[in-house]
Amino acid sequence: MKRADVLLVSIVLIAALAFLAPRWFSDDKGGPGKNLVANIMVDGKLFKTVQLTEEDQTVEVRTDRGYNILKVHDYGIEMYDADCPDKVCLGFGFITLPKQTIVCLPHRVLVEIAGASGGDEIDAYVQ
Amino acid sequence: MPMSSSESSTALKRTVIVALFAAVAVVLSIMEAQIPLAGMGLMPGAKLGFANIMILTCIYFLRARDAFVLVILKTLLTAFLLGTFSSLLFSLFGSLFSFVVMYLLVRFGGKRLSVIGISIAGGLAHNTGQLLAASIVLKSSSTFYYFPMLLITGVVTGIVVGFAVRYVVASLSKISLFEEFLGGTGH
Repeated sequence: MKRADVLLVSIVLIAALAFLAPRWFSDDKGGPGKNLVANIMVDGKLFKTVQLTEEDQTVEVRTDRGYNILKVHDYGIEMYDADCPDKVCLGFGFITLPKQTIVCLPHRVLVEIAGASGGDEIDAYVQ
Repeated sequence: MPMSSSESSTALKRTVIVALFAAVAVVLSIMEAQIPLAGMGLMPGAKLGFANIMILTCIYFLRARDAFVLVILKTLLTAFLLGTFSSLLFSLFGSLFSFVVMYLLVRFGGKRLSVIGISIAGGLAHNTGQLLAASIVLKSSSTFYYFPMLLITGVVTGIVVGFAVRYVVASLSKISLFEEFLGGTGH
């Protein structure tokens, strides 16, 4: 490795840490009493907003492209099943923190966790 | 335009090399698809980028247009064999962006960066290209939540790919098929 390589690696790693650090120090934690919601977007439009509850909820997203089944439980949400070809969306696992996302590109589905319901962030999606 | 026999033999060699490289790149992609990365707690959709070994090697030996053909061939063949047509546009976008970045670096910054640096830059360009395409399609920038993780995995896989390219270039340089392409782009 040459000196420029080391420089490139350090710049990239510092940039990555600079992006990550605010997340470690923020008090945006999930769990009871936080009233987190998951915004489900299809094709850039808000499809549904679900409250992240401890009880189980199942959300079905059915479009011409196919179906996605999301499961809410224990103050988080996960992609439970989908008929997309690559199944990448199932790999995102169970998410519980604000700003975490699940993406299903073939179906143009985006699930993002947001802070307390009624916040200005959600208003921004209403067009 | 008629070609002299040495010209046409060079053209034939280029075609053979591109075809061989495309075949190896596709095999590497298929092997890579069998590794369950998401199950290992990594970012879903993250790839090791082994096919980049062949593309970077091709940039070193042949011309830009040969490497371009290789990128297109590899992406199309992989999509056919793995049946991921929905993601074809994304991989094409990512691969082409990565190819352009690596080519420019080899061409104009090759003296300062080693193969490893160039392969890291290519891997990062690939990730960035795909995230950009995804955010355009989804009409949302929240996909960039995963950008820092992709930067870190991109550096790690870039180093691995770079070392592989170093060995592949050294070994291929000893084969007579590659003799006349040595030092073509300079490395």
